[in-house]
Amino acid sequence: MNKIALIIKREYLVRVKKKSFIIMTFLGPLLFTALMVGAVLVATSDSTKHNVLIVDPSGYLIAQEVADYKKNGLERPRFKDSEDLVYEFTTITPTEEDFKNSHHTLWVQIDSVTYGDGMTEFFVKKLPSLGVQDQIQEELESALEQWRVKKFGMDWKTYQSVKQGVTLNLHNIEKPDEGDDLRMRAGVGFGFALVIYMFIFIYGVQVMRGVIEEKTSRVIEVIISSVKPFQLMMGKVIGIGLVGLTQVILWAIFSGVAFTIVAAIMGTTAEVPGTLNGQALAQAGAGGSMSALENNESLSFLLNVPWFQIIFAFIFYFIGGFLLYASLFAAIGAAVDSETDTQQFMPIVTIPLIFGFIVSEFLWQNPEGTMGTVFGIIPLTSPVVMMVKTSMGWNAGNIWQLILSVVLLIATFIGTVWMAGRIYRVGILMYGKKATYKELWKWMWYKG
Amino acid sequence: MKTLEAKNIHKSYSGHKALNDVSVSVEKGTVYGLLGPNGAGKTSLIRIINQITAPDQGEVWFNGERLQPHHVERIGYLPEERGLYKKMKIGEQCMYLAQLKGMSSAEAKRKLMEWFKRFEIHTWWDKKVEDLSKGMAQKVQFITTVLHEPELLILDEPFSGFDPINADLIRQEMLRLKSEGSTIILSTHDMGSVEELCDEISLINRSQVILEGTVKDVKNRFRTRTFELQFRGYNIDLGIGLGAQFQLLDNRKVDDTSIATIRIPDNKNLNDLLGALLRDLEIVSVHEIVPDMNQIFIEAVSKFNSQQA
Repeated sequence: MNKIALIIKREYLVRVKKKSFIIMTFLGPLLFTALMVGAVLVATSDSTKHNVLIVDPSGYLIAQEVADYKKNGLERPRFKDSEDLVYEFTTITPTEEDFKNSHHTLWVQIDSVTYGDGMTEFFVKKLPSLGVQDQIQEELESALEQWRVKKFGMDWKTYQSVKQGVTLNLHNIEKPDEGDDLRMRAGVGFGFALVIYMFIFIYGVQVMRGVIEEKTSRVIEVIISSVKPFQLMMGKVIGIGLVGLTQVILWAIFSGVAFTIVAAIMGTTAEVPGTLNGQALAQAGAGGSMSALENNESLSFLLNVPWFQIIFAFIFYFIGGFLLYASLFAAIGAAVDSETDTQQFMPIVTIPLIFGFIVSEFLWQNPEGTMGTVFGIIPLTSPVVMMVKTSMGWNAGNIWQLILSVVLLIATFIGTVWMAGRIYRVGILMYGKKATYKELWKWMWYKG
Repeated sequence: MKTLEAKNIHKSYSGHKALNDVSVSVEKGTVYGLLGPNGAGKTSLIRIINQITAPDQGEVWFNGERLQPHHVERIGYLPEERGLYKKMKIGEQCMYLAQLKGMSSAEAKRKLMEWFKRFEIHTWWDKKVEDLSKGMAQKVQFITTVLHEPELLILDEPFSGFDPINADLIRQEMLRLKSEGSTIILSTHDMGSVEELCDEISLINRSQVILEGTVKDVKNRFRTRTFELQFRGYNIDLGIGLGAQFQLLDNRKVDDTSIATIRIPDNKNLNDLLGALLRDLEIVSVHEIVPDMNQIFIEAVSKFNSQQA
């Protein structure tokens, strides 16, 4: 068997057979799902039931709120009891002692100031969730609104028309078919970019650790008496890359399954569009922009996303970006004796990576900015940035950016792999010597 | 026939000359000792032979061919700095290393079983390296070095880390491999094993070869015509007998005899010495003091270093 293939096989099997890999592969999606479900549960439910006492000595609010809702064209009475909130009204202000001994858990005190600037005192026995607090606040707000409309002698309908908001209806002249989709699609791209970013970081560091392990265990000299250092480095990079790819694919599948099951149980499939496309989309969904969509809207949105382009770009930038960074990680591993010594060289990889990540986050906010164009072309940041750009679609006007970016990335990773290989082959046999950037430069030009 | 010939090798690392016009030539089926102080350039030379690095100048020939990448499969190398993957099982690890040397999986498995039995470690197959002692790991490393039956074995300090019993086992294996036709380059500081195992040696010091030849030759070159003579009789008679022609280096009493260390000048021989003493002394024994490799090593290196200074 070809020697690189042998090395790839070893690097791959050793890691895939590890308990930690198997556990993380199954646990990752479960944890992720649990986190999402947990967040939803925490946000939506506060299991304690609240008895709210609204004290309004003037009695204005109570009198009209309960009676006048239909006349005012409201859908339902204010302060309607729900499962976890029961309202009671009184005009008599209790003492704190009274409140303590009562069955009420929350107490809102309305006074003359409240009618003017909306300030109320809120007493609690135990702090309610933000959701409950918002609900009470909202009810009070619109009740007071109603009271003021009446007080100023306005008609409710007139007031409603005064209060009418504004909607910006987006028309992109350059891309006439697209509405506000663009930003959300950038969100999808950002999800993929996040996967690439995490992947490069986690598995790049594994490459570095693998190299250091071979150095410290002194197995390296035995190995390179059988294979060329460059073969060993490439075998390691590719083998570990495949481990990462395996994990990402398994995560996508398991997450999809887990989401489908959870969504079915919760009966809210529409809220979790992540089921359709697994991990990456779920992460975009976690951003919140998508869960707000109505069912059919989200479907048409999903159809608008250029999936083919995204998948191809994802595979290309995933592999290209990993080769580029992993070979740098390998060179760093070769240049040091232990993981603690890697600190001085880590900025070479971490700064461009984090920078690319930040740029893509901005790109999400401002999809057509110049920053995206520039850093989408620069190879060190392009793997992350270009995912966001691709999710927004390419056309004849800007496709040159993609082509340039791809060509530059290929050229750069060939260059980087070569450079890293030169440093690697010298570094792996150097012990007990703290390398400097200057020395790495010298190593690159050693003969033979 | 020469298994290996390195001709006029030069190698420098950022200004430091590691090898300066070094040539060695290793006859097939012999054990060749590569000696020298730490940092003399032995490892640099070994790495060049293993094609881990390339020489700046000079060439290496293997079995009459210019050294090429595929030759690594016919060379077995046990580096001084050696280790194994700690988390890997012994069996898998040996299989991996064997396949890297070009063996098929079936062949590697069969040979490994043989060697594991011979070294009585066949129960270790599924153990992890981190569970082995240093000596045990060394055994595994030796096996992985010789498994693919290389024509040339390069062993760098093969006995370090072994107890005397296992060191002897390795020594016996080396002799067996030699008798089966393998050529061995042995780099070591253990001069005892050099005398015992090596046919030829090269002493490298400060990047160059300062001494080479068969062990017998080298020893002959370092003979000083000094003899130890055990006798009964009076010291005064010894003094008279030796006269001015022979140099008395030492004389000490052992029980009822004396042992004198005497140097014979170039124009005389042992017969002349005995002739001069026989009349008045009773000679009990006489033998030549031949320097051992340890003394030769120290003498050659210090002589070279003082000349350079």
